[in-house]
Amino acid sequence: MLRWLAKRIIAAALVVFVVTSLVFVVTHIFTDPATVSLPLEATEEHRAQRRAALGLDRPLSTQYWDFVSGLVVGDLGESFWQSQPASKLVLERLPATLKLVAGATVVTVLLAAPLGMLAAWWERRFADHAVLGFSMAAISAPPFWIGYLLIIVFAVQLGWVPTFGSAGFVSLILPSLAIGLASAGRLSQMTRRGIVEELRKPYAVTALSRGFSRSYTIVHHTFRNVASGFVTMTGWELTRMFTGYTVVIEVVFAWPGVGRLAIHAIENRDLILVQAAVVVLATLVVVTNLLVDIARRMIDPRVDLA
Amino acid sequence: MSSTNSNGEARQERLLEIKDLTVGFPTRDGVVLGVDGLTLNVGSHERLGVVGESGSGKSVMGLAILGMVLPPGRIMGGSVKWRGENVLDETVANRVRGREIAMIFQDPMVSLNPLKTVGAQLRELLRRRAGLEGAKIRQRSLELLEMVGIANPQDRLKSYAFELSGGMRQRVMIATALACEPTLLIADEPTTGLDVTIQDQILTLLHDLSTELGVSVLMITHDLGVVAQFCDRVQVMYAGRIVERAPIAEMFADPQHPYSLGLLQSVPRVDRDESELSGIPGEPLDRAQFPPGCAFEPRCGESHDVCRQSAPPLVKIAERRWVACYNRPGDQS
Repeated sequence: MLRWLAKRIIAAALVVFVVTSLVFVVTHIFTDPATVSLPLEATEEHRAQRRAALGLDRPLSTQYWDFVSGLVVGDLGESFWQSQPASKLVLERLPATLKLVAGATVVTVLLAAPLGMLAAWWERRFADHAVLGFSMAAISAPPFWIGYLLIIVFAVQLGWVPTFGSAGFVSLILPSLAIGLASAGRLSQMTRRGIVEELRKPYAVTALSRGFSRSYTIVHHTFRNVASGFVTMTGWELTRMFTGYTVVIEVVFAWPGVGRLAIHAIENRDLILVQAAVVVLATLVVVTNLLVDIARRMIDPRVDLA
Repeated sequence: MSSTNSNGEARQERLLEIKDLTVGFPTRDGVVLGVDGLTLNVGSHERLGVVGESGSGKSVMGLAILGMVLPPGRIMGGSVKWRGENVLDETVANRVRGREIAMIFQDPMVSLNPLKTVGAQLRELLRRRAGLEGAKIRQRSLELLEMVGIANPQDRLKSYAFELSGGMRQRVMIATALACEPTLLIADEPTTGLDVTIQDQILTLLHDLSTELGVSVLMITHDLGVVAQFCDRVQVMYAGRIVERAPIAEMFADPQHPYSLGLLQSVPRVDRDESELSGIPGEPLDRAQFPPGCAFEPRCGESHDVCRQSAPPLVKIAERRWVACYNRPGDQS
């Protein structure tokens, strides 16, 4: 187990390294942070000055070395828009994004697992169709639209929660729902299908033949066997959240997270800050996948240790 | 409790009574009957074999005895009575399942939960179905594993199914089936897929346990060898119906139904000098076709017009012998 874990951590670190190197390639070879940061009418002289100020006139290999060695100590360069270390700006916003993703994950899991089990329990009956209807609606609607809808109904009309900002637990509810509903829709259908399949397997038939009730068999026998897939899919949903949904939803709800920071950085042509945000989000995705692997290993003793 | 009577004769209490049981499966071509008007009784201290080829409805019957039919199938008629109570009633079934009637299945590889240890699977049964508590659960778990001949039961409690061999898994299955001290054990092809030597061990174990514990066994199999080794009495099933029933010795000495005869002739025998084995001509019936007459008629060498018109009833032709064939008229009284 420890050996396996060590291997996984090393592999994850390698992935982070490769991804951040790709980010460097995009920001330094395909574009030029100095040009991007200057107005369009800037002269070549201005650009050269800016390049020299940012150290961009040095050979690429030197720049890459600086970038990598900076990465190791957590230095991701200086934001020109804010004139502060980019890593500091991103890490300040990180807790807000993590809170949001945590909230959305709670919504996803708490909706998907019971809904999936319910739909399987009432297979081809009304409740099953109702869950399917909910799932299709949740999957089809774009999260930003769900977000606006939630704001209009619960914040503007009913006034139960603030329309924006991150003031305490209550303000977390709507953005979590806006992100989590679509994930819950996909996951509940996956759970339902998995349980229906498992219920026909001999071990489930055996459990039923021993006199365990259908609900006991679903919860204590079949769900365990779909749990591994459930965790994997939840991991994928988390990945989608980090790389897409949070960005959109943070803007809709004026949520002070990394996604919204990245949008502002793009608006202000601050490539160094964009790069820092991407590096941090990519790292989160890799860490998520690592956690999923560990969880699967804990659920299913047959998962390959190689 | 009286001691065992090896010939299955003498005073038996009637435990299970199945009458005209019909189980149907809706398909595109109409309803296919997995079990078609089946009548069968099992007495106490009896080892009854039900033999038939794949698709003859044996396994469907096994589950239906517990009031279970896998969707989309459903029970369309008939009754299943356990000690006079209707098992098709869900409240009766819930009480009886696993406690009074327990079942073991054909594929021990996949019939145990892959993600629960042997101990956990025994524990939940003993706690939730047998009503045991605390230290008694572990004690009884060990006792059950010992009973089915598993060495080092303490270690095996921590094992997962994938860590056990096929024979071990079937032993564990038997242990879970016996956890609540059932009166009837339904064994659906319990030795299929196991090595021949392991098959023999499992059959011997089941035989010994049924004698020691006074458990009746309903052995569902396609293997006449298993029947010969294990059962006191046998019923031959074809296309969802019983075509012949007889005590074991008489079935092998003098089969009456043409299908039973065909089955016996297709088994190699070491005690007779036979140069060739003969199979049964034709294909097993396509169940969606539904002939009005005898289901075996298309493959039968001695069919008449009447065989195509209506299915022959199961009639008594001698003491403890019944056959469903127009060529073997019984006491038509």
